Amino acid sequence: MRHTSWTLRIVTLLSLVIILGPIAIVILVSFSPSDFFAFPPRGLSLRWYYEFFHIASMRGAYLLSLEIALIASVLATALGTLAALFLARRRGAVVGLLNALFLSPLVFPTIIIGVALLLFYRRIGMPILPGLVLAHVLIGTPYCIRSVLASLQAFDVSLEEAGQSLGASPLRTLFLITLPCIRPGLLSGWLFAFIVSFGELNTALFLTGPGVTTLPIEIFAYLQFQGSQLVIAAASTLQVCLVILLVVSIERLVGLGSIVRSR
Amino acid sequence: MSMDMGGMDVVLRHVTKTFGSVVAVNDLTLEIPRGLFLSLLGPSGCGKTTTLRLIAGFEQPSGGDVFIQGRRVNLVPVYRRDFSMVFQNFALFPHMTVANNVAFGLRMRRVPPRERDTRVQEALALVHLAGFEDRYPKQLSGGQQQRVALARAIVVRPTVLLLDEPLGSLDKKLREEMQVELRQLQRAIGITAVFVTHDQEEALTLSDRVAIMNGGRIEQMGTPRELYERPATDFVANFLGVSNIFEGRVVARQEDGAARIAIGPVQLSIGWEPGLEPGAPVRVAVRPEKIRLGLPDEPGGLPASLRHVVYLGATTHFYLEGPDGASLVVHVQNVSPDTGLWAPGDWVSCHLEPRSVFVLRKR
Amino acid sequence: MEWLTRFLRMRWAAVLVLPPLLFFLAFFVGPLIYLFFVSVHDVSQVEMYGTRLTVENYVRIAGDPFYLFIIRRTLTAGLAVSGLSLLIGYPVALSMVRMSPSRRSLLFILLLFPLMVSNVIRAYGWIAILGRRGVINNVLSDAGLIQAPLLLMYSLETVVVGLLTILLPYMIICLVNALLTVDRNLEEAAQALGAGPARTFFYVTLPLSTPGIASGLLMVFLLTLSAYVTVQLLGGAQSKMLVSLVYDSVMTFVWPRAAALAFVLLAISLAVTTLMLKGIRPQRVQGKG
Repeated sequence: MRHTSWTLRIVTLLSLVIILGPIAIVILVSFSPSDFFAFPPRGLSLRWYYEFFHIASMRGAYLLSLEIALIASVLATALGTLAALFLARRRGAVVGLLNALFLSPLVFPTIIIGVALLLFYRRIGMPILPGLVLAHVLIGTPYCIRSVLASLQAFDVSLEEAGQSLGASPLRTLFLITLPCIRPGLLSGWLFAFIVSFGELNTALFLTGPGVTTLPIEIFAYLQFQGSQLVIAAASTLQVCLVILLVVSIERLVGLGSIVRSR
Repeated sequence: MSMDMGGMDVVLRHVTKTFGSVVAVNDLTLEIPRGLFLSLLGPSGCGKTTTLRLIAGFEQPSGGDVFIQGRRVNLVPVYRRDFSMVFQNFALFPHMTVANNVAFGLRMRRVPPRERDTRVQEALALVHLAGFEDRYPKQLSGGQQQRVALARAIVVRPTVLLLDEPLGSLDKKLREEMQVELRQLQRAIGITAVFVTHDQEEALTLSDRVAIMNGGRIEQMGTPRELYERPATDFVANFLGVSNIFEGRVVARQEDGAARIAIGPVQLSIGWEPGLEPGAPVRVAVRPEKIRLGLPDEPGGLPASLRHVVYLGATTHFYLEGPDGASLVVHVQNVSPDTGLWAPGDWVSCHLEPRSVFVLRKR
Repeated sequence: MEWLTRFLRMRWAAVLVLPPLLFFLAFFVGPLIYLFFVSVHDVSQVEMYGTRLTVENYVRIAGDPFYLFIIRRTLTAGLAVSGLSLLIGYPVALSMVRMSPSRRSLLFILLLFPLMVSNVIRAYGWIAILGRRGVINNVLSDAGLIQAPLLLMYSLETVVVGLLTILLPYMIICLVNALLTVDRNLEEAAQALGAGPARTFFYVTLPLSTPGIASGLLMVFLLTLSAYVTVQLLGGAQSKMLVSLVYDSVMTFVWPRAAALAFVLLAISLAVTTLMLKGIRPQRVQGKG
């Protein structure tokens, strides 16, 4: 353990404040009893939460976001696991290329993906909801691949060889030995894909439509048209709570280490 | 396709394995009879592990054939070959209990549950781990884990047991204990075992036969005694223990058939071998414990000067410089308190016991 | 013999790789190719795009001072955000590396958590702080320090501050991961040879962390390019960036121009990526350069 100067400590603290501060403010605002924001807050109230559940479009957007995130994350985990199993122990130029392809949505400007899919969907007549789900699968898969790959790389090949030496065919080895051992990677990959989908904006901007809105887009629309802003705070806090809930439950199931490591 | 291989459980015929431009196994032919404990011994990169993996099926031969119990298995995948394997890092399934680990092979062979349980219990008892059924691998010590790996391998009653440096990650004392247990187990069950190691002491301790490998080939295969007392090549002579190498010349063929050779000023009679014609040069080697040191004026010995003395309690090691600058090592048992009380710089004479002199061939 | 096993293994490999590969080709590569295809056609009033193949969309962008101005502003913002995040993030990363592992894990969680909250919410947080009826104005007017509310929103500076705080965790995490791979022994060796803390840092630690610096800068810059919602909410109409123009042309259904703008954005991303990797040469540290 080394001596850390006070400057470093202060900078760290300040950074945490500016990073987490805005979110904390939003949560605080959501409990405001009055129509406008007053700081310091003049009391606590749940009226904005009631309001949130009363507005059909908000409620609907929240539920739809959940639904899309669920389907997209499961699909992303499936595709991501297949890809990771392929990439894990192979070398070569082709594999390198595939690796780059599968991980590129992470660094690719998602706004461009949104525009490209919008045009593409119009051309082939893709209905809105599946189109959005598939866009989120595309964006979520790289997280799953990274997470499962990390687990696979820590996974000892000799376990698979031992299984085979005892008579297990490759398929049985996969299901009885490999998958159970990489469960942390699978779960944390799924978690990331879910959370990313739920909060995703750049493709949803273009791919949502009449009757099909996600919560972030709904919040954005409200903010843009200066609607009743404080209900936004309630909606936002509910999303934040969802994130906390998911992170905590995965931590219970699988441990902090894997979440941190898979980054 | 089954052939009568004359009681040979494993046969490799002219097997070659290349990885890209690297030849790991080079035209190897090996026959292992039933019930034999064979060690594959050699330095890293000699091809011993590759050979083991060729028998297992984790690698396919680039050329040649592999037979297990008379059946050609080149195209047979790993999980359909009749063998089991103990891995260096144990490879116990971390998400299964000890009992489930051991039962895994039986499950794959569709052994009914009741029989499975009985056999698991028997196997665990054999390795002295009765009562450990519900523990998980991470709760066990290294030695215990290795024994579970062993139980898991033998419970399926395979034809051949393959062991890939299984004791490498254990500490010395545990390793020695496990060596004994392993050997006893193998004898009791009568299984054919192929054991890969780079530790010569281990190989010599455990095996009926040892195959010393180098550069993808078997340099020499034989009993431990044969390999140590009569190494065929430079490599074997230097890999197993230390050798003192002398360049000499064949003087004559004696009437009794022996060959008379000269090494420096000394002449000895050794057993004749083809190639030892009068006048031909010859390379011989002698083990360090087979040289007797005497006073410098004692006749019949090679003169050498003492460079370095290392006292090791039970023995003393002498490092000498012999005729024409050759380095010699002599090990002397400290039979009395004043054995070998020479000092660096002293001159001594080295006496070679003719029956312990062996001729070296470079392959 | 070997071709047979290789063939069997390939069947397995195909089962594994084909589903994701086909998916990516159909929903990633394909649409991008189609987008480019649209960008090199002329604009049409009735169809999505006209029938003529042309590069006029790109030419128009390159020749229009307004577009060039927006591009310059976008680059400035990107550089400002990445530069500032490096300056602020590096000290944080340094202190995290020196923490005990359990504390570090806690900080990791504290940094990962905001990344999982949607950007629109984080931007809203800044609206709640900087807006006309936000925290700052509330506090200052309650204290009697100001008469009329301060106009802190809708400027380039607001956008930079907002993006900085949103993207800072990415930078910190990249840097920490890189710094953790720096062998403690190297720093100790430098000190044993007489280098004080400052020189050890500049000659050993900093150079060895260049892969982290490069990936952090790149990630933050690329995310800045794509951050439509934050730019729109915090910058308003006065601080549009390239990404806003992409959105606007899509919303007005001028598809070829929207497509061309999107590819200009992509070209900028690629150019910056190449420059960054060439300039900082992280491969040198990784032992490949």
